[in-house]
Amino acid sequence: MSPYDLLIAPFAEFDFMKRALVGSFALAMGAAPVGVFLMLRRMSLTGDAMAHAILPGAAVGYLVAGLSLPAMTLGGLIAGVTVAVLAGLVARFTALKEDASLAAFYLLSLAVGVMLVSLRGSNVDLLHVLFGTVLALDDATLILLASIASLTLVAMAAIYRPLVLECMDPSFLRSVSSAGTPVHFIFLGLVVLNLVGGFHALGTLLAVGLMMLPAASARLWTQDISVILLISAAMGVVSGYAGLLVSYHLGLPTGPSVISAAGAIYVLSLIFGAEGGFARRFIPIRHLEA
Amino acid sequence: MTLKRYVITSLILAAGLLPDVAQAQEKLSTIASFSILADIVENVGGERVEVRTLVGPGGDAHVYTPTPADAKAVAGAKLLFVNGLGFEGWMERLVEASGSKAQIVTASEGVTPRSMEEEEGHDHEGEKGHDHEAGHGDKGHDHGHEVAEGKAHGHDDAHDHGENDPHAFQSIANGKIYVGNIRDALIAADPAGKAEYEANATAYLAKLDEVDAQIRAAAEKIPATDRKIITSHDAFGYFGEAYGFTFLAPQGVSTDAEASAKDVATLVKQIRKEKVKAVFVENVTDKRLIQQISRESGAEMGGELYSDALSAKDGPAGTYIDLFRHNIKTLSAALTR
Amino acid sequence: MSATSGILLDDVTLGYARHPAVHHLSGAIGSGSLTAVVGPNGAGKSTLLKGIVGMLKPLSGSIGLGNLTRRDIAYLPQAAEIDRSFPMAVYDLVAMGLWKRHGLFGGMGRGDSQRIGDALGAVGLTGFENRPIGTLSGGQTQRALFARLLLQNAPVILLDEPFNALDTRTVSDLLDIIRRWHGEQRTVIAVLHDMDLVRAHFTDALLLARSPVAWGPAHEVLTAENLFKARHMIEAFDPEAAICSRDAA
Repeated sequence: MSPYDLLIAPFAEFDFMKRALVGSFALAMGAAPVGVFLMLRRMSLTGDAMAHAILPGAAVGYLVAGLSLPAMTLGGLIAGVTVAVLAGLVARFTALKEDASLAAFYLLSLAVGVMLVSLRGSNVDLLHVLFGTVLALDDATLILLASIASLTLVAMAAIYRPLVLECMDPSFLRSVSSAGTPVHFIFLGLVVLNLVGGFHALGTLLAVGLMMLPAASARLWTQDISVILLISAAMGVVSGYAGLLVSYHLGLPTGPSVISAAGAIYVLSLIFGAEGGFARRFIPIRHLEA
Repeated sequence: MTLKRYVITSLILAAGLLPDVAQAQEKLSTIASFSILADIVENVGGERVEVRTLVGPGGDAHVYTPTPADAKAVAGAKLLFVNGLGFEGWMERLVEASGSKAQIVTASEGVTPRSMEEEEGHDHEGEKGHDHEAGHGDKGHDHGHEVAEGKAHGHDDAHDHGENDPHAFQSIANGKIYVGNIRDALIAADPAGKAEYEANATAYLAKLDEVDAQIRAAAEKIPATDRKIITSHDAFGYFGEAYGFTFLAPQGVSTDAEASAKDVATLVKQIRKEKVKAVFVENVTDKRLIQQISRESGAEMGGELYSDALSAKDGPAGTYIDLFRHNIKTLSAALTR
Repeated sequence: MSATSGILLDDVTLGYARHPAVHHLSGAIGSGSLTAVVGPNGAGKSTLLKGIVGMLKPLSGSIGLGNLTRRDIAYLPQAAEIDRSFPMAVYDLVAMGLWKRHGLFGGMGRGDSQRIGDALGAVGLTGFENRPIGTLSGGQTQRALFARLLLQNAPVILLDEPFNALDTRTVSDLLDIIRRWHGEQRTVIAVLHDMDLVRAHFTDALLLARSPVAWGPAHEVLTAENLFKARHMIEAFDPEAAICSRDAA
C-alpha cells in the first residue's frame, strides 16, 4: 500500500471522510484551548460533569423535535448553561465550592432528564442518538462546528489575559479588574458550547476526550502557556486525522478511534514529555553548570 | 386473631383480589415483548385475550430497558410471548427478576433460522432461484453474487458469525409459523376458547396469504437487478430471502454496534458499483448515517421502512399487515422510479 | 502624585460571615505615608488590605479613597495565593503590571518592552525574562512581583507580608524599592511581622488586634506595653458571639 493510499486516498475518494476530517479539525481547534484552561484551573473533570449535564438537555430536545440539529443543540445548551450558571452562583454566594455545587447540579440535570425521557415513554435507545457519529456530518452540522470553533477562538483571544490571571493570580485580577466573574461565566459558556458541538460529532462524553487529552498531553511538553495552546490544538487535529485513518483501514468504530489516538499521544507524552515525562525522570542526564 | 380483625383482613384481601379474579374470568392476561408480536397475538386471541406490549410502537427491542411496571406486568401474566432467536436479550433477566410463573412462548419456534454464517449461501440460492424464474441471465446472478460477498465481508469485522438473525417476522411465511405457535399456546392456556382461537387464526392466516401474494406481485414488477437496498441495520434478511431482495446495512444486524469508516466506505463503493437506486431508513434507528451514505453514493433516499416495531395505531404501519403493505409500497415506489 | 487626603477609614468593620476580623476601625492613612500594619496572627491585617483594595465589602462603616479609585491601588497578595506551577515566563508575569494601562484586552506598545526590561533590572532579575515562573526561588518570585508593582505605577501600594521567608539580601533590595516609592510620594501600606524592620524603615504604624490598639508614628506605636496589650486582645473565634452592641447606638 503506497503512502498515498494509506494517508490521503480515503479522504480524496470519500466525501464523508472529508467531512469527518473537517468536523474533527474544527472540534479539536475549538475544544483544545478550552481544555487547556480547564486543566490549568484544576477543573479537568468539569468537562466531564458538564457533558453529563448536557446529555439530558439534548435528549429532551430529541424527544420534543426528533433528530433535529437546532432542537438538540438548543436543549443541550440550555441544560449546560443552566447548570454552569447555577453552579457558579452557588460557588460565589454560598460556602460550597464550585466542584461540589457542579456535581450537585449536573446530577440533578441528569435525573430530571432521565425522568422527562421516561415520561415521554419512547423506547428508542437514546444512546444511539446521543452518540453522534462523525461519519454522518451534514452541511448544517459542519457549519455549526466551524462556527463554534471560530467563536471559541475569538472569545478566548478576547478574554485571554483575565483568564490567565484568574488561573494563576486571582487576587491580582480582582485588584485590577472586576472582569473576573463575567470572564468565568463566558469561559464556562465556551465549555458548554464546545461540548454541545462535540456532541454532534462524537457524542458529548467522547467530546470531553478531545477537550482534555490534548491539553494534558501538551502540558507535558512546555512551560509556556501560548505554546501549550498551539500544541494542544495541533494534537487534537492529529488525533482526528489518525483516528479516522485507523477507523478506515482497520474497520474500528470512528469516535472511539479518534479518542484512542488522542490517548496514544497522551501516553507518549507521559513517557517522553520534555516537562515531567517519565523518561526524563529516570534516564540520567548530566546536570548543568547553572 | 380476634374476629373483628379477621373480618377486616379478609375484606382487605377480598378487595385486593376481586378485580383480578374478575379480569381473569373475562380475559387471558398475556404479554408480548414487542409491538409486532403483540399485534399477531391480538389477532389470534381476539376478545378473549388481553395483551400488554413491553417495547411499544417505535421502540427498539434490541436495547430496551425494562421498567418496574413491566416487571410487575410480567409477574402477573399467564403467557409471555417472545420472538426468540436472541432478539430480546433482556428478557431472561426480566423474567427472573419479576419472579414470573408465566409460560414463555417462543413465537419463532419452528422457523428455519438464518444464521449470519449461512447468509452467503442463502443469498446465492435465493438469487439464483429467482433469476431462473424471472428469466434473467448470468449477469444478474453475478451481481447478486458480488453483493452477497461484499455483505458477508462487511460483517467480518463488526459481528460474530454463527449468530442467528432474529428478524424472522419479516417474512410472511415465518409470520404464519408465529400464528400457529401463538394459537397453540393460547389453546393450551385457555382450552375453553379453542374454537374461537382456531377461527381467528384461520382468518388471519388467510389475510396473511393475501398480503404475501400482494408482495410477490409487487416484487415481480421490480427488475431483479434493481432489488438491492441499503438500510441502517440488517433487519430485512428474511424479507429479502422470501421476496428476492438484497439488503445491505452499515450497522449490521443489531442496532448496538457503531459503524466504522471502513464499513461505510465499503458500502459506498458497493452502492456505486452495483448502481443501487435507493437507500432507506428505519423507524427505530438513527437516520443520519444513511442520509450521509445517500449523499455520498448518489443513491436516493427511498423513505422509511418499518423493521422492528410498528408505528402508532394511526400511523402508516399500525399493524403487522400494514407494516408489510407500507414497506413493499415504499420499496416499489423508490425502485421503479 | 496628586495631593489627596489619603485613605479614610470611618468606623469600618470587615469580616467573614458576620464575624468581624477588623472591628470598628477609624482613622486616616495620609497620602504619601509609609505605614506598617502590625499585629498578631488573626488580627485582621490582611483583611484590612482586602477591604481597602475593594475585594471585601465592609460589614459596616465605610472606606473612603478620596479622589482615588480602586484602579489606583496596586496590591500584592500573600505569596501563597499565586499558582507558581502555571506555565508562564517571568517576562509575562511582570508584563501583567501594564495591564491597568492597556486594559485587560488592549495590545502592548513598543515602549512597553523597554519598561518591562527596566523593571526587571530594578529588582535584579535581568536575564530571567524567559524563565518559567515555576523555576524561580521564593525570593526571585517576590522580586518578579515587585517588578510587576513597579510597572503598575500606582499612587497607592498595598503589600501583604512581602518579606515572608526571604533572605536578608532580598529583603534589603526590596526595602530599597519601597523607600524609592516613598520618595516618589506614593502611599505604601505593608503588613509586616518584623518589628525592628518597621521601627527602622517605616514612618507610621497601625497596631491591630481586630480592634485598633495604637496608630501613629512607628516608634510611638511599637512600645512593649502596646504589643503586650495586642497579644491579649486577640481572642479565639466564638461561634456563639452576640450581635455587636456598638452599632445600636
